[in-house]
Amino acid sequence: MDLASSWTHTGAVLTFHRWVTVIGALLLTSVGVFALCLQFGATSVGLGTVARAIMHLVRGGEAETTSLETSEMIMIQIRLPRVLLGFLVGSSLAAVGVTLQALLRNPLADPYVLGVSSGSAVGVSMAMLIGIGSAFMLLPVLPLFGFAGGLLALLLIYRLAQSQGRLPIHSLLLAGVILNAILTAFIMFITSIMEPNRSAGLMAWLMGSLTAPGYPALSVFVLYALLVLAMLMHKAQSLNMLTLGEETAQSLGVETEGIKKQLFALTALLTGAIVSVSGMIGFVGMVVPHAVRLLIGSDHRLLLPASALVGGMFLAVADTIARTIMAPAEIPVGIVTALTGGPFFLYLLLWRKDRMV
Amino acid sequence: MHVSNAVAPTVRRNALGRSSRFRRRVSLFIGLLLLGGEGVLASPFGDSDVTRRQQGILTGMPFMAHVSARAYVDDTGRRMYFAKPPARIVSLAPSITEMLFAIEAGEQLIGVTDFCDYPPEALKKSKVGYANPNLESLLALRPDLVVTPNDFLKPDVIAKLEQLKIPVFILADKNVESIFAHIQTLGRIVGRSTKADAVAIELRREVTAIQQRVQGLPPVRMLYVLNSQPLITVGPGSFIDQLIGMAGGVNVAAKSATPYPRLSMETVLQEDPEVLVFPVGKAEGISESEQQSWRRWSTLTAVRQGRLRQISADQLNRPGPRIAQGLESLAGILHPDDPSENRIEQ
Repeated sequence: MDLASSWTHTGAVLTFHRWVTVIGALLLTSVGVFALCLQFGATSVGLGTVARAIMHLVRGGEAETTSLETSEMIMIQIRLPRVLLGFLVGSSLAAVGVTLQALLRNPLADPYVLGVSSGSAVGVSMAMLIGIGSAFMLLPVLPLFGFAGGLLALLLIYRLAQSQGRLPIHSLLLAGVILNAILTAFIMFITSIMEPNRSAGLMAWLMGSLTAPGYPALSVFVLYALLVLAMLMHKAQSLNMLTLGEETAQSLGVETEGIKKQLFALTALLTGAIVSVSGMIGFVGMVVPHAVRLLIGSDHRLLLPASALVGGMFLAVADTIARTIMAPAEIPVGIVTALTGGPFFLYLLLWRKDRMV
Repeated sequence: MHVSNAVAPTVRRNALGRSSRFRRRVSLFIGLLLLGGEGVLASPFGDSDVTRRQQGILTGMPFMAHVSARAYVDDTGRRMYFAKPPARIVSLAPSITEMLFAIEAGEQLIGVTDFCDYPPEALKKSKVGYANPNLESLLALRPDLVVTPNDFLKPDVIAKLEQLKIPVFILADKNVESIFAHIQTLGRIVGRSTKADAVAIELRREVTAIQQRVQGLPPVRMLYVLNSQPLITVGPGSFIDQLIGMAGGVNVAAKSATPYPRLSMETVLQEDPEVLVFPVGKAEGISESEQQSWRRWSTLTAVRQGRLRQISADQLNRPGPRIAQGLESLAGILHPDDPSENRIEQ
């Protein structure tokens, strides 16, 4: 394929220079946002407290107070993993959203459209119904159940959608939507037969909560998500081709069936993992890709990483708001993502319309 | 508080503000004055008052003393009249079932929820579901009274029952004090007021005794883990929060604004509870493995001292006649070294 044309085919010229500038700027902002999110929480513990604790240790003083230990625990065991998880979940949701919108050529696609998320949710609901708890011998049981449920849903959708070795987009979408409906009904069934206190716990979990598991489980998720994200990035150029339509992509030399199957598997695997660790956090996966596309154009080599970074920042900030605004109580992060992201997106839409006139 | 309302995320207790209480009193007064003589299971709709008043003026006055004893106002201010004690009662909450059995009205109880498991006799009664009861099986029981909490039941269920002319008596679980009142009200409705008064007085005596025992003791900071992941606990305005105070404890979620907050873990670490209390039970509660996972918060005083305690969810969460036992267990957990001899045997 002609390299020059591939850089320019979406209209907006994507030069290497532009890529580095945009991604570099977003990376820098991300670091700032990350620090900011670490600074705020339900307690007054901030980065300063931690700095003092470190200074204290360096000076070799006796670890005098429990409050110092508590601050350290709050920062290291609660806030840091939570911000990290929020960032990564946000990135993954946005990246999956970008991919599915291109793959399904549907602007309404989001990570939950394919039914894999409901599979994960059913797995978690079952675990809660039998009262197994969220941890067993230090293994995070809920995520494991969730992931298993997601995998089963993935296989089911794939079997339903494929015909004669091909994976038609419309059957994929339909199979996903219908399976979603069936599994959602199943979750409702589970909540309706549960004791009300327990079903309230399940609902709270399903509404999305970024309570990080311990570091061992968290690092597994981080490595897993980064790996899948990298593989998605690798397919960015194929996504560009797919948005032109399957025939065009094929005529440009893209082996569309293989690519489609790979992309479906990658997004499904990532979605299953996301839902398993954080429940269903709406809005990030659908709106962030659109917002970023409005601002920087639709070349997926830039759009995908940029959306991932913006999605990560967005969810980390939304979660910071969710855990501080009603402190000491928390509110479900999905409320914040919808209430802040929605109006902002509408604003972008209007702003863009004005500029085009 | 009821097992189920523990987390029902709605505006609830505020529904009964001072004005409505006042109105209730006024309406009770009017109801007593102007009650119709024939008043069998009158419709609970407010609109019918006008006709009822006229009837009352015409026919009711001479029978006032007789009829007024059978007029009741429930916790939402709705009036209800019973010519004779109802004989086919359906209870829509485990706590209400327990109250009815405690006042020896078990015979009159014909339908209960899926979660009514105490006393064991309750298991033999017909089941009608719970938060979303099966109206057909409820109707098939031909109840002449449905007693229900107001917290989690879907509003359309009550509306539907009223439409079908089945009297619905609503008991709002506001606080410990309301349990005594509910027992006595139910006693009067079912014609067991002597027994009910005795039960209520004894319950009040036990609760007061526990309160007095822990009064001088240093308060103990505790966290009640209603749901572990994500953490949901009890806050001000909830029934259990009140019990914690009565048992000589300090709720670490005291600063939260809602009765059933999703408390941030940071706050838990900062407030540093000395005891973690996990409800356990058949249908609800926190699993053993889940409880153990709390040990990773190693800076907590509760974890350092190994004070992770379990309490019967049924006893503490149900605002019924076993509340003294729940309170006793909680006081025992918070003040294990209390030398007092006069504990209530469970």
